[in-house]
Amino acid sequence: MGLGLAVLLLAGCDASLPWARVLPGPEAPNPGNGPVDPLDTLCRSESRDPGRVTLHRLNRAEYDNTVRDLLGDTSAPARDFPPDDHGFGFDNNADVLSMSPLLMEKYSHAAEQLVETAWANGTLRTCELDAAAPEACARTLLRTFARRAWRRPVSEQEVASLVGFVALARQHGDAPEVGVKLALRSVLVSPHFLFRVELDPVSASKAPHPISDLELASRLSYFLWSSMPDEALLAAAEGGRLRDPAVLEAQVRRMLADPKARALVDNFAGQWLYTRALDFSQPEARYGFDEPLRQAMREETKLLFQEFIIGDHRLKDLLDAPFTYVNDRLATHYGLPPVGTDAMTRVSLEGHPERAGLFGKGALLTVTANADRTSPVKRGVWVLEQLLCKGPPPPPPNAGGLAPAVDPTLNIKERMRQHRADPTCAGCHTLMDPLGFGLENFDPVGRWRVKEEGGAAVDSSGELPGGKVFNGVVEMRAVVKQDPDLSACMTRHLLSYALGRGAESADRCNVHDISQQAESQGGRLTDYILAIVRSDAFQQRGGEAEGPTP
Amino acid sequence: MSRQPLVSRRTLLRGMGALMALPLLEGMRPGVARGAPAPAPRRFAVFYTPCGIHMPKWTPTGVGPTWSLTPTLASLAPVKDDVLVLSGLDNLPGKPDGDGHHAAATSAFLSCVKALKTQGANIRTGISMDQVMANALGKATRFPSLELGIDQGKGIGNCDSGYACPYANNIAWAGPSTPVPKETTPRAAFERLFADFDPDATQAELAKRRAYGLSIIDAVRGDAKALEGRLGTTDRRKLDEYFTGVRELELRVNAMEGAGPACGAVAAPVDTMDVREKTKAMMDLIVLAFQCDLTRTCTFMLGNARSERVYSFLGLSGEHHAYSHHQKAQANYDALAKIDKWEVEQYAYLLQRMKGVQEGESTLLDNSAVYFSSEVADGNMHEHKNLPILLAGRAGGALSPGRHVQYGDVPLANLYISLLNMFGVPVSTFGDGTGPLTGLAG
Repeated sequence: MGLGLAVLLLAGCDASLPWARVLPGPEAPNPGNGPVDPLDTLCRSESRDPGRVTLHRLNRAEYDNTVRDLLGDTSAPARDFPPDDHGFGFDNNADVLSMSPLLMEKYSHAAEQLVETAWANGTLRTCELDAAAPEACARTLLRTFARRAWRRPVSEQEVASLVGFVALARQHGDAPEVGVKLALRSVLVSPHFLFRVELDPVSASKAPHPISDLELASRLSYFLWSSMPDEALLAAAEGGRLRDPAVLEAQVRRMLADPKARALVDNFAGQWLYTRALDFSQPEARYGFDEPLRQAMREETKLLFQEFIIGDHRLKDLLDAPFTYVNDRLATHYGLPPVGTDAMTRVSLEGHPERAGLFGKGALLTVTANADRTSPVKRGVWVLEQLLCKGPPPPPPNAGGLAPAVDPTLNIKERMRQHRADPTCAGCHTLMDPLGFGLENFDPVGRWRVKEEGGAAVDSSGELPGGKVFNGVVEMRAVVKQDPDLSACMTRHLLSYALGRGAESADRCNVHDISQQAESQGGRLTDYILAIVRSDAFQQRGGEAEGPTP
Repeated sequence: MSRQPLVSRRTLLRGMGALMALPLLEGMRPGVARGAPAPAPRRFAVFYTPCGIHMPKWTPTGVGPTWSLTPTLASLAPVKDDVLVLSGLDNLPGKPDGDGHHAAATSAFLSCVKALKTQGANIRTGISMDQVMANALGKATRFPSLELGIDQGKGIGNCDSGYACPYANNIAWAGPSTPVPKETTPRAAFERLFADFDPDATQAELAKRRAYGLSIIDAVRGDAKALEGRLGTTDRRKLDEYFTGVRELELRVNAMEGAGPACGAVAAPVDTMDVREKTKAMMDLIVLAFQCDLTRTCTFMLGNARSERVYSFLGLSGEHHAYSHHQKAQANYDALAKIDKWEVEQYAYLLQRMKGVQEGESTLLDNSAVYFSSEVADGNMHEHKNLPILLAGRAGGALSPGRHVQYGDVPLANLYISLLNMFGVPVSTFGDGTGPLTGLAG
């Protein structure tokens, strides 16, 4: 995978690549398992660098989930924060999550609001603040809160400084609770809350070191829940038990079974599968796309992925899972029998193989189309980037979107021949276009069609470099599912998300190990997650040349 | 900081079209310093529009004062004498390594520094000229600068060909690796502008709130300082951004006041997905922020780089970026011309609003410079030369508008040097600039 991508980026989709590394052809030596991966040999000897995650500011989703779990507050205050940038396809990428004066202001206001609300609800008042001697209760209350908010035990000195707010309030003639609330606000504006802090050992060294158990707990909870560790996880980490493989696995399985793991659907799958972009899709009015349809499509993909989190499906089966979730509106849209309800209902796709798996999902088909026509290029690029990690470089200047149909009797495939006739375009388009052609039976909002809008018959056949020919979505997705790079590519995206840093070519052996381990364990999403969590990339941190100063 | 009154005000503002009457205090009027009258302050606004401009319908034929409005610029008719059209300025640092023109040119839009091609930790461009200005002028107002925009971003995929998303989504940069994020909801931006005022508070209450606010700031700054020595270089850079944030917050708390600014009755914007309403709300906020002297520097992004917005209300079904790769097809030219015209109409609306605000003998527009441009000229070729540039207002007399000025092969950075000088920032170099731009004062 790493190699394949690197080669492609350097070569710019050189069509003369050994085809076996691009997509398996009929002569692949070992069709079941794909060709021998050159990384097998390379990674036997290459050392592993766990990489280094930059000081990670909570993104908006993480902030909202964290205050939900910390304070029971579901008001989602981060909605009013400025948007987070994203990197490597995910908005939890620590490198691009910057801090700014605007954000500090928002944090400050949110903290005030959150503390007032929680105090009024009594959530935080675990003891009685005696007006004459409030310190003891304040100390207990603040220690408990700061430990949870900062996701680690707090020192006596830290507690003492928080309790100092009570004295400050007294100086200004205010009751102890005023001081406690100030202390609580400061906990929520502190860097210990807003950042996921991972400290280096005091001795500066480039050598990788294991992160602490508490840091590991936060990595776990922000990976699986986009939120803070709960008491069970925090206790396991404080007790030094989290690195026990059995404990770690049990924690992961427990966390994935928790409804909070829905964060993986919203934040990982929402970005990996582009579902989030559905909110911004504006198909032409003639396609009858409206809010209920948007909602149903969004829910369908979420529910599908949700089943992969705890179900027994292999992750690769996402490509052709023979079931889905529809309500009447979506069923009609797809040409499936109605389910008799507005509620999303699980249905078998036995008689409708074209709808099976990701490629039959309205959300994906809509976000990868133009507003007024399909885009085999966008759909092809999505497959290449998100499933095979063979993203092509962008078109050269002077290349562009396809001009509106001049001759409507030609189908889009005919019109796109130009891509492949022009040598500057052919290198990439011989890869991208065919995969998109395979989806041409789906219109810009994912309805099945046999004719294009201009009246031409849909041609959903394609020929891949190396001569592999397919006809229609069912055969196309089989080709993708058999691609030897699929597993590594899914690993790469999941690892980038898990760590909050881009998995790059230096991670190729990390990725290779994880994907092999996951597949050997059964290839479920859980197996991938466990393989990641067990990896050095997840449990360790590289040093920096210029280390911390004592 | 002033919680209770803020809540009640927020509640009030939630009502559709609620009207907020802010107390009018003569002493707080911009341009009327307490005691002696002083000249009105100069204000600077930036209007960024993505994906370039279809130049044949943009560039006026006449040069000097005798130019005529082109189809794209038609909406400027009521303010034609307040506008300079500047042709022939280039921003060559916007050229990327390989591909990624939109992101590279957007991060260079106000910095004139070539961005380092990276997706990761080592993001680097240059400080943007609005931030240089804010550093020099910002202390005079509640907000050193204001950053507004329309697009949240879809948050998926690559932003532009190996260039990290911050390059594509930010024109304001506080430093080479620190983008200044923008507010993208008018209501949140509005609330921020007026958050810290509490007309009911006594002086003693305000003093106490300040003390409490500052004590929190001291505490968290202490936390950060204790952390600083235990972090590596990259992490310390993030913490530096935190320190900057804390410092700004401190200024804000110190400036906490009772009465609000003198801006008369103001309608709170209502959040909407409609880009027309949202843009208008943002234009109104710029005028409001200037009128109330809450800031003197403001940037606005009509879209993020490589915008894929569909202008269905213009009768267009394709995406902006797709049209911009026009392949010399007339249908695409026509679509681009429609989009460009609409963009200029928004800018014209802003100018007219500013012209309607009287400041003593002059208008807010007279006291401002309002800059309009895109990261590239022609979108098909990703042209970084001969950029589409409008500069409106008189900047308090430093600009002499109503003309089309033709330059040739002059760095855009020279315009920024001149603008900075006009606003009292004595720089002689900026980006790839070679010196001030001549011909702006007439």
